[in-house]
Amino acid sequence: MTAVRTFFWRGSEVPFRAGESIAAALAGSNIHGFGKDPAGSPTRYFCGIGACQSCLVRVDGRATEACLEPVYDGMVVMALEDDDA
Amino acid sequence: MREADIIVVGGGPAGVSAAIEAAKSGLSVMLCEQRPALGGAIHRQPAEGATPVAVLPSLRGRWQALSAELSASGVDVRTRRAFVGVDSTGAVLIEDRAAGKVEVRRPRALILSCGAVERVRPRRGWHLPGVAAAGGLQVMLKEGRVPGGRILLAGSGPLLLALAAQMTAAGNPPVAVIEEGDPASRPLAGVRLLAHPSILPDMAALMMPVLFRRVVWRRGTRLTEITQSGDMLTACLIAPNGREERIEVDRIGLHDGLRPNDFGLPANDAAAGLVILRAGDVREVLGAHAAEADGAEAGREAAARLAGCPPRSGANGIRRLRSLQTSLSRLFAPVHGAPILDDCPGDTVICRCENRTISHLKAQLSGPDTVSARELRLNGRFGMGACQGRFCSEWTLSLMSELRPTASPSSIAEMGACRWPLRPVALSSLAKGGTNADTLTEPHMEEISA
Repeated sequence: MTAVRTFFWRGSEVPFRAGESIAAALAGSNIHGFGKDPAGSPTRYFCGIGACQSCLVRVDGRATEACLEPVYDGMVVMALEDDDA
Repeated sequence: MREADIIVVGGGPAGVSAAIEAAKSGLSVMLCEQRPALGGAIHRQPAEGATPVAVLPSLRGRWQALSAELSASGVDVRTRRAFVGVDSTGAVLIEDRAAGKVEVRRPRALILSCGAVERVRPRRGWHLPGVAAAGGLQVMLKEGRVPGGRILLAGSGPLLLALAAQMTAAGNPPVAVIEEGDPASRPLAGVRLLAHPSILPDMAALMMPVLFRRVVWRRGTRLTEITQSGDMLTACLIAPNGREERIEVDRIGLHDGLRPNDFGLPANDAAAGLVILRAGDVREVLGAHAAEADGAEAGREAAARLAGCPPRSGANGIRRLRSLQTSLSRLFAPVHGAPILDDCPGDTVICRCENRTISHLKAQLSGPDTVSARELRLNGRFGMGACQGRFCSEWTLSLMSELRPTASPSSIAEMGACRWPLRPVALSSLAKGGTNADTLTEPHMEEISA
């Protein structure tokens, strides 16, 4: 049995499977709202192909599409509205 | 190492097939895909330890065959590479997402095979968390995350049935599939499908959960509004007899068809000294089989063009698949005519990126002067947000036509967003641009900063 891999979403540990996107891992933990964008609207998964820009999250201070970005062990992912950890 | 002769953008069936075919000519080919793995939306691969979903009968084994051929082809495959555009000098800009920098490449030919994008018509509440494009739910299911809880699928087209069948096979059938058309009431269009016997096993696979009553397929019904109540979403449905019904679910998948993902792309042969071709759904949405054939065609044409042959006419072997798509559209045509956006409440969001509503659009058009599509974008900010109009341009223009029926309709190109970057790119990626460790290409910083 492989050890459970986890990453950090807004400070909480979330499990993931190797090879999946941040958005897929968050959906696996029933997380569908990704905080607010600069305009105050909810950030969330929508198109799944990197086109709609609705699922932007912050990794290492940079905004990136949660549906494209592969998740890795110990990765720190924040919402656009959060201060960086 | 020198620069590749041909760069192919997009690792779905069209791009992979184009790369394989182009490499057969002996030219060097680089295949760039924005995600960490190839496959495109149709062949999205499961994460480690996830159960693969049921594939449509006609597609079984296709991806394995393409992957094997690609491995043997000598094509240089680069993942996590997003296409940013072609600059005025013909340089191809590709963002290396892992390194966070834009590469400036100078191939002799560029094949764009960036697939299709879903059409999702604005409805009140379509921007809420938990509401996704049905294809978005489908690719996530393919990655191995079966949408949990009560799921409602709504809109129009065979993709809704395909997703319902895959969800049923994965153990969580949707609560219902809400279809605006009524294929059962169009027997003639149905009979036309018999002219395409190769897709009948696919149709049977799609219909199986409906026929076995595992999934309710409500035809001639329209989802008009979504509201949020706590953790749940409430969908408002209008039945063919006009009766209104509300249904409470956890998540909703919307889908109103597909269109080419061609926003802002350079036209064929737009840059001097660079052959630019399009292949697959980005040229014309005809599905995976056509994309493979079209990709191979584009791969051969790119090689021929680099050998000095003149451009060929667009005659290729996908006419049959075009007639199939026409039959399918007729079958799924909405029973009450095209829906009218103007009927939606004024607070319905049209532009999801910047929260611009139908009321905002009407206010923009209500002045004494005639407002152009370009002004709607520049002053009204429709099509101006981060998605660069991919999800609102079509609807902004159709609402504009509804409100000004006598004016001639504007095209998406007239909104004026056809230039690079094609997608948001971090300034730090651009600042690091131009230095490719793997080629002898000189840095072209002056073009980037221009």
